Amino acid sequence: MESAKQIIDSYNGRKLRVMEVCGTHTHEIFRLGIRRILPPQIELISGPGCPVCVTPAGYIDEAVMLALEHGAVICTFGDLIRVPGSEMSLAGARSKGAAVKTVYSPLDAVDFARENPDKQVVFLAVGFETTVPAACLAVKKAAAEGLANFSILGANKTMPNAYKALKGSADAFLYPGHVNAITGTAVCEGLVKLGVSGVVAGFTADEILTALAVIIRLSASGEPFFRNCYPRVVRPEGSPAALKLMDAIMEPCDAEWRGLGVIPMSGLKLRPAFAAYDARLKFTLPPVAGRSNPACRCGEVLQGKCKSTDCKLFGTACTPLHPVGACMVSNEGACSAYYQYGDILNG
Amino acid sequence: MCVGLSARVVSIEDGTALIDASGAKRKVSADLIDDLEPGDYVMVHAGVAIAKITETDADESRKIMESLDGIG
Amino acid sequence: MDNMNKNDFVTLAHGAGGRQTAELIDRVFKAHFSNPDFTGDDAAVLPVDAGKIAFTTDGFIVSPFEFPGGNIGKLSICGTVNDLACMGAKPLYLSCAFVIEEGFPLAKLEEIAAAMKKTADEAGVRIVAGDTKVAGKGQVDHVFITTTGVGQLTEGVRTSGAFAKPGDAVIVTGDVGRHGCTILLARNEFEIDADVTSDCAPLWGTVKSMIDASHDIHVIRDATRGGVGTVLYEIADQSKVGIRLNSADVPVAPEVRGVCGMLGLEPLYLACEGRLVVFAPKSEAPAILEALRKGPYSANAAVIGEVVADHPGKVVMTTEIGAQSLLPQPGGELLPRIC
Repeated sequence: MESAKQIIDSYNGRKLRVMEVCGTHTHEIFRLGIRRILPPQIELISGPGCPVCVTPAGYIDEAVMLALEHGAVICTFGDLIRVPGSEMSLAGARSKGAAVKTVYSPLDAVDFARENPDKQVVFLAVGFETTVPAACLAVKKAAAEGLANFSILGANKTMPNAYKALKGSADAFLYPGHVNAITGTAVCEGLVKLGVSGVVAGFTADEILTALAVIIRLSASGEPFFRNCYPRVVRPEGSPAALKLMDAIMEPCDAEWRGLGVIPMSGLKLRPAFAAYDARLKFTLPPVAGRSNPACRCGEVLQGKCKSTDCKLFGTACTPLHPVGACMVSNEGACSAYYQYGDILNG
Repeated sequence: MCVGLSARVVSIEDGTALIDASGAKRKVSADLIDDLEPGDYVMVHAGVAIAKITETDADESRKIMESLDGIG
Repeated sequence: MDNMNKNDFVTLAHGAGGRQTAELIDRVFKAHFSNPDFTGDDAAVLPVDAGKIAFTTDGFIVSPFEFPGGNIGKLSICGTVNDLACMGAKPLYLSCAFVIEEGFPLAKLEEIAAAMKKTADEAGVRIVAGDTKVAGKGQVDHVFITTTGVGQLTEGVRTSGAFAKPGDAVIVTGDVGRHGCTILLARNEFEIDADVTSDCAPLWGTVKSMIDASHDIHVIRDATRGGVGTVLYEIADQSKVGIRLNSADVPVAPEVRGVCGMLGLEPLYLACEGRLVVFAPKSEAPAILEALRKGPYSANAAVIGEVVADHPGKVVMTTEIGAQSLLPQPGGELLPRIC
C-alpha cells in the first residue's frame, strides 16, 4: 500500500485544480504547510467556505444599526468582530459604545438573554449547515422559554447551490466534512451526474493528505467521482435529528454572498412561525445595501478566478490588521491565510 | 467553515453533555445525537455535539488508503 | 481588624491626602512592605554601587484582578522584576503606584499588598516608595498598579533583542500560554472549565542560574501580553534574522491545548507572565538548559528552534508533516473563532 504522501509526492499527471470550500481546511492547509509539499501540477484554490468572507457588508451594517440605534446587545462569534461594514466594523461600533459580546455558542446568547431580561439580545446567525443547527437550537430554546428579548439576525447559507455556481472553478472539491456531518453525502454524490467531482475530507494532517491522494487516484480515469474520506464523522444520511430541526425552524431563501452576488435558494431564514425571533422584523430594519471597496477582488478570489496576490489592495491597503475585504478578516479567510502563511521563502 | 473539536463525553444530563478535550471541559448540547453515552467521542461545533466519532483519523486514513490499491 | 464597617472599603477620602490616606498607607502598605529602605519621606534615598543600573517601569491592569496562580499584586512585581532580569540585572528597588476604585474592599487590597511583599522577597527586591490615588466608582476597574524598578547589571553580561545571531538556539523556559489561558477561563465568558494556573513568577533566580552557567547569552526576553510568538517576531525584527521553530518542540500543557482547540486560538500567542525566551549560541545551550531544568520555574525548559540568516524578520515553523509554514504574524485582539 502506498502512503498518501507517496502518492502526492510521485504525482506527475495532468494539472489538477482542487478547491477547498471550508475555511478551516484553508486554515489547516496553510498552518501545516501542505501547499509546500505538493507537486507543481496540483493547485489548491480557496473557495467561498468561510462564512465571514461571504457575509456581505450590508449585514454588518444591519448589526451595527441594531447595536447603535436600537441599543441591542450583539452576541457574535469572534470571527465577525473585525469584518468591515460600509462605515464601520463591529469593533468600530464597540468603540462608539455598542455592546458587542463574543460567544462560543448561540446557546450562550440565549443564556445571556435570560440573565438580562432588561436588554434586547441579538445573535448574529452566520454560518453554513454545520452551524445552523446550533442557531436553530437557540431559537427553539428561546421560544420554549418564551424569551421576548432574544432574536437572531440571519445570514445562514447552504452549500449545494454554491457548488453548482462554482462548477468549472476546479477539477475537484475538497468537501467540508463538518457540513457533510449534518447534511450527509447525497447532495455531493448527486453532483457527480453534473460532472462535479469531489471528496469529503476531515481536518487533521492525515485526513487532508489522504483526501488529496484519493483525488489524485480517482482523477486518473477522467470520470467524475465522489468519495467520503471522513467516514468516522460523516454518515451517508448525515444527522437526521439536525436536518429535522433545521427544517422545523428555517426555510430556504435567496442569499447574497459577498463577492459572488445573490445565489438563488442558497440561504436559510426563520419560518413565519418564528418571526418573533427575527431581528429584522422585530426592529423593522430598513433594507440595507452595503457598499464594499470597488477595488477589492474578494469575489474573484472566492471563485478561484484570481489569487489574493493579484489584488492590488493585498498586503498594502488591505492587511489582517486593517482589512478591506472580508477574505482578509478571518484567520481562515483566503487572503488572510495567504498573507499570514503564504508570504515565505519562495512565496 | 467550521472549527470542530474532537472531545470525550464525560456525562449526560437533560440533553446536555459535559465534554472533555485534553482537560478542557464544557457543557454542550447533546440534542442532536440520540444514543450518546459517557465515554463516546463526539465532534463539537459552536457548543453542539454534531456527530459521534467512530474511530481515529489514523485508522480511517489507513482503511481509505488500502481501498485505493488497484485504482488509478 | 477594623470594627467599623465603612472602613472596610476604600473611599475617596482615602485618596485625599489627609489623615485617612495616612491610615490607609499605615494599615496596608507600611504594614506589608516594611523594610529599612521604605521611605516615609518624599523620595527614597538609596546607595549606588559602581557599575551600571537597569531602570524600567510597567503598568498593570488585569481583569479579574485575582486569578488561579496569583493576583494583580504578584503580577505587578513579577512584571518589573522580570524586565530587569531580562537585561541581566539583579533587581534592587521598586516603587509602586496604586490607582484604586472607590469601594474596593480593604481586605482585598491587603491580599494584594501581601502578595507583592511575598513576591518581592522571593525576588530579593525592596519596595522603597509608593503612591496611592483613589478614583471614583467606575473610573478604574478595581485597581491599577504601576511599578518602577532599578537593578544592578551583572558584569560581563549584555543582552538585547538586537543581539540574536544565526546559529543561536532558541530556548523557552517552560510551557507557553498558561497565563493568557488562565485569565480567559477566569473571565468565564466561554463557560469552559480547565485546571490551568497562571505561570506568573519572579524570574531573577531563573536568569541568575543561566548567567552562572554561561555569560554568552545574546537575548533574554520575558513573554508577556503577546505571548512567545510575539517575542519571536520582535527579536527576528530587531536582530534582522530569521527564526526556525519546530512546532513539536514547543511545550504546551494539554489543558491549554484543549482550550485553544475549543476556541480556535494559537497557544504561542497567549500571554505568559513567567516565561523567558532565550537566544544563545548552540554550544552554550546544553549548559543553560541543564541549569534551567534545576530551577522551580523552568523545569520544562526546551530548545524550540534556531536562528538562521535566511528570511530575516520571519518566523518559520516546521510542522507536524515536516513541511515549512510561516507562524502567523502577531495580530490585534485575540478573537475566538468558530468558523
